[in-house]
This record gives sequence, C-alpha cells and structure tokens, in this order.
Amino acid sequence: MLQIDHLYKNYGKFQAVRDLTLHIPQGDLFGFVGPNGAGKTTTIRIVCGLMLPTAGRVIINGVDALSRQREIKKQIGYVPDFFGVYDNLKVREYMDFYGSMYRMNSKEIARISDDLLELVNLSDKKEFFVDTLSRGMKQRLCVARALIHNPALLVLDEPNSGLDPRARVEMKELLLNLKGMGKTIVISSHILSELSEMCNSIGIMDHGNLVAAGRIEDVMEGVFGSNQLIITLDEGRETAVRIANEHPKVKVESVGEYEIRLSHTMTKQEIARLVGEMIARDVLVTGFHKQEGNLETLFMRVTESEAQEGGTENAAESNC
Amino acid sequence: MRLNPIVKKDVKVQSRSMKICWGVFAYELILAFVFFLAIVVIKQQSRYSANNIYSAMVWIYPALAMTQLVILGIVVPVRTASAISGEKERQTFDIMMTTGMTPFSIIMGKVMTAIIQSMLFVVASLPVMALCFIIGGMSWSYLLWFLAIALLISFFSASIGILCSSLCKRSISAVIMSYGFYLLFFLGTVLPYLIYSITSVNMSYSGPATVFSVSYSYGENWCLFLLLNPAVYLTEFFAQILVGDSIANNLVNLTGTFPTGGPIRYIAVNNRWLIVSTVMFAAVSFLFLWLAAKRINPIKRKARKPKTPGAAG
Repeated sequence: MLQIDHLYKNYGKFQAVRDLTLHIPQGDLFGFVGPNGAGKTTTIRIVCGLMLPTAGRVIINGVDALSRQREIKKQIGYVPDFFGVYDNLKVREYMDFYGSMYRMNSKEIARISDDLLELVNLSDKKEFFVDTLSRGMKQRLCVARALIHNPALLVLDEPNSGLDPRARVEMKELLLNLKGMGKTIVISSHILSELSEMCNSIGIMDHGNLVAAGRIEDVMEGVFGSNQLIITLDEGRETAVRIANEHPKVKVESVGEYEIRLSHTMTKQEIARLVGEMIARDVLVTGFHKQEGNLETLFMRVTESEAQEGGTENAAESNC
Repeated sequence: MRLNPIVKKDVKVQSRSMKICWGVFAYELILAFVFFLAIVVIKQQSRYSANNIYSAMVWIYPALAMTQLVILGIVVPVRTASAISGEKERQTFDIMMTTGMTPFSIIMGKVMTAIIQSMLFVVASLPVMALCFIIGGMSWSYLLWFLAIALLISFFSASIGILCSSLCKRSISAVIMSYGFYLLFFLGTVLPYLIYSITSVNMSYSGPATVFSVSYSYGENWCLFLLLNPAVYLTEFFAQILVGDSIANNLVNLTGTFPTGGPIRYIAVNNRWLIVSTVMFAAVSFLFLWLAAKRINPIKRKARKPKTPGAAG
C-alpha cells in the first residue's frame, strides 16, 4: 500500500529524515513512534504531498506520490494534529464542503457523510455548528472528513494530542473499527500504550532515522530477544549471578542492586529449579517474573541505544 | 456549471456573520454622506454663480463612483490578504491542500469570493447611485460602465491581496504588504515618467540677457507605465464619460516633440487607453494569481536522488 524508498529531507544542513525505507501493507494499522523532532511529521507531510523530499520516492497503491499528485490526493485522507474550524459552518455543511472539493455531487456527499457521521458517532450533531463541538468530537469529525472520498490510506498525525481520556478511548475505538473495515492507517502518536493496543505494526524514528520497523511482535523479539526473566532479591546477589552464569541455558543481561535480568531458553520447570537452587543457596529471592516486552520499554531501549551511538559518534567527532 | 466549493462555503459562512451587514451599512452611510455633501457644495456654489444647478449635479456621479472605488480599493485587499494566511493561521490550509483541488482553483475560489462580496456592496449602493440619474443628463450605460470598472478594480485589488496572502504567514503582514503593492502601482508607475521628465530638463544660458531658455523632453515610453496606474485609469474613465476628453491626449501633447509613430500616441489617438489599460490590469491580475498559486503549491519540483546519500545540505 505505502512504499517509501530512501527518503531524505534536509533543512539546510539539518537532516530531518535520513534514508527512510518503509513498506506498509494493505490493511495495516501502522504506528509511527518517535520523540519530538524525530522526523515523523516531516515524513507524514511528505507522504501527504504537503512537502517535497530532498530525495527519495513515495509510492501509494503503485502510484508515485511525488509526480502524480492529483491521483494521490484521491488515495489519501489526512488528519492533522490540530483541528482548525470555520466559524458559522455546520457539521453537515463541513462535510459537504470537503466532499465537493473532491468533485463529488451533493447526493453522493449526503449519502456518504450520513454513513460517516454515524460511524464517528456524530449523527445527532449534523445541524450543529462545528465550532460548538468538543475537541474530541471535532477530531472525530476530522476523521469522517478525511474519509469522505473513501481513501485507500488514512494518515493521522498525533490525533490524540490534547484529547481527554474519554475522547481518546472513542478515537481508539473508531480507528479499530476502520482497521476492521480493511483501511490502511498510519498514525503517529506519543501515547505508546494506546498504539500498542491498536497497531499491528510500528516504525520507531529517532533523529531522522527509522531505527526499527515491522510487526510489533517481530520488533519486540528483535530487540528483547526470545525470553527475559527478572529475578528480584534482597540478599545474595553475587551467589545468584554465579548460579545463573553456571546454567547453560541462561545469559545474564544486567545486574541491578535488587534485580537480575536474564535472557534464557529454559522451560517453566527449569526456571523453577533455578530459582529453587538460588533459594537453597541462601539467596533471599523476593520474586521473579517473565519480562513482557511492551512498546514503552521497546521504545526506550531502541532510542536509548540510538542516543548512546549518537553520543559515541559525537565523542569520536570531537576527538577528531 | 459547477460552483467552486470555496466560493460556496466562504459566501455562506461570511453571509451568516453580522460583519457583512455592518459593512454594507457603513458603506451606504459613507455614500449617503458624500451625496449630501455634494448637494450642499452644489447648493452653496449656485448662490454665487449663474451656472445651471442641473449641470453641476452631473458631478455627483463621479464623486459617488470614485468614493465607492476607493472604498473597494481599500477594503478588498484587507479581505483577501487574510484569505490564504487566514487558512494557515486557522490551520485549515494543510487539509485544503490535501484535497482534490488544485492550488489555482483554491486561489480562484478566494478571489471570486472577494469579487462577489465587492459586488454585493456595489449592488447594495445602487439606490444611492440611482440618485445621480434622477436629474437627467446621465445615461444608464454609465451605470453599467461603473459596474464593469468596479469589477475590474475588485479583481485587481483581490489579486494583490491574494498574492501577498500567499507570501506572508500572518494576515497583518499580508495586509501591510498589499498596501505596499498598491503604493507601488500608484506612485511607482508615475515615478519613472516624473524622474525622466525632471532629469531631462535642459536649462541653457543664451546671450548676454538674463534669459534662460528651458526645453523639455518627455520620455514617451515612460508614459506606458501609466497604463498600470489605477488613478490614471479612473481619471481617464471619468474624463471620457463626463467631458469626452482623454488623459492620453494630454500626454501626447506633452510628448509632442516625439515622432508620430510612438506607442503612446497610437494608444491615445485611437482612443484605446482604457482598453489597453484594462487588458494590462487583467493580465497583471492573472499573473499575480498564477504566482500565488505557484507559491502555495507545496510540490513545486520533482525530487532528485542525492549525489551522496545521507549527505546533508
């Protein structure tokens, strides 16, 4: 559905996006994650035809997005991070305005906007002025507006920013509904927990680089490895590390003051035996649990290593 | 014919606002004031002269028409200067640019909205304008001519406003820039001709007597800039309608030392000043709109592959 090849965007000497290559298949709900200034919005703006890349190619549904803008506009629905409204315009008229911008006729617009307003739960607000709606309602209306021409790709840039918890939940449900309908959705957000609940694939950007991308499970496995075990303890840390190191299926990843992090290929029984041995050798084990990788820890891990690499590079540059 | 969606939306939105009602009210009030002021002046003058009051009444028409055109010239750039920058400030511009509309159709939609609004003001003023015609001596065709000129002035002013709006991020900067452009057309088109005229004055001492012979030579080609001067354009229009004279003829008289084949002479002798000027104003307006459309188009050129991938700058 969306293919980005070797995308670069420079602002003078600053490189906002660096050699970004990405493929998002049809029907995916793709989460774009990254700290502020990572290059997410720049990438989204390039994909939507709002900005020209320094180099690279964007292909949507087999059509080159940079050379065939008019065709591409029919394939994209864009929801920006901030929803601007026109005073004195009703919800129905708002939909009519954007529908007619895609050269749709009034009957078609009326029929589709009725369906879309029902989908976003705003059917009863048709005759309300847009500027009287709550922020959450406006954002849902903006999604309905972006879908008026039935685009193949829906792009949302920080749609949940500034929304209250209820509005966020409603937005999440809406996006899941759309995913269920087979729409391809690209969403950038800082709220990682929500993304992990919605998205089936992610891309993590940092300092203009795409540092990880793919199915969430694949990215997690790539970053965290197969299995992680965390053992918390009060006394006998050295003994516990020694026991772990002696085990052929265990590798000690990190040792904290009250915590040992292990990666392993053990069965449940072997884990129980290992912990039992530690207890038998006077290690005061207060608990143990399997590390479940989540998007927050994944994000922190990935961007942390990037920052460290960046720091090393900078140090090397300054030494030179 | 399909109506531009921006025109449909903007006209609807703006007509719901009370601003438009107050605007028309203020417009009518100014015109009524000018009308009564003109009547008072004519009445005062008739006390001390033997001129026929009815012939003087004819001058109410240019007074009202000029007032309207000046108001339009001031108001239209203000309204259009916020057309694009206002969308940017409201953050609706990006959404608009991702829709199926081309940058030029967006620009045209904004211009057409401004023209429709101007014409609403002009049409609303017809009852006041009609007062000029009740005395007689004025043809109804003059009214149609006035409407045509108002349309052109609105189009020209709107194109300046839109261009400035596309150049500036903030509406207030766009308004200031629009007036700067206006000044350029009012003064900038006169300056080359004036400078040439002043610098080419030859003063020479002839003989023992304290007599200086002064010979002037006027740059005929510099007069061509005046074709884009709105003040000259309106003066020519009213001069032709009211006294059947042409400002172009006066220019020809000033440039009398030039051979007969010059462009300004051709325009003046054949009474084509208004036509040529109208065409030039329309051409400049379209040029401004084209530039504005180019300016707002985010995709201006095709992306190239970098020579050294990853190299910044």
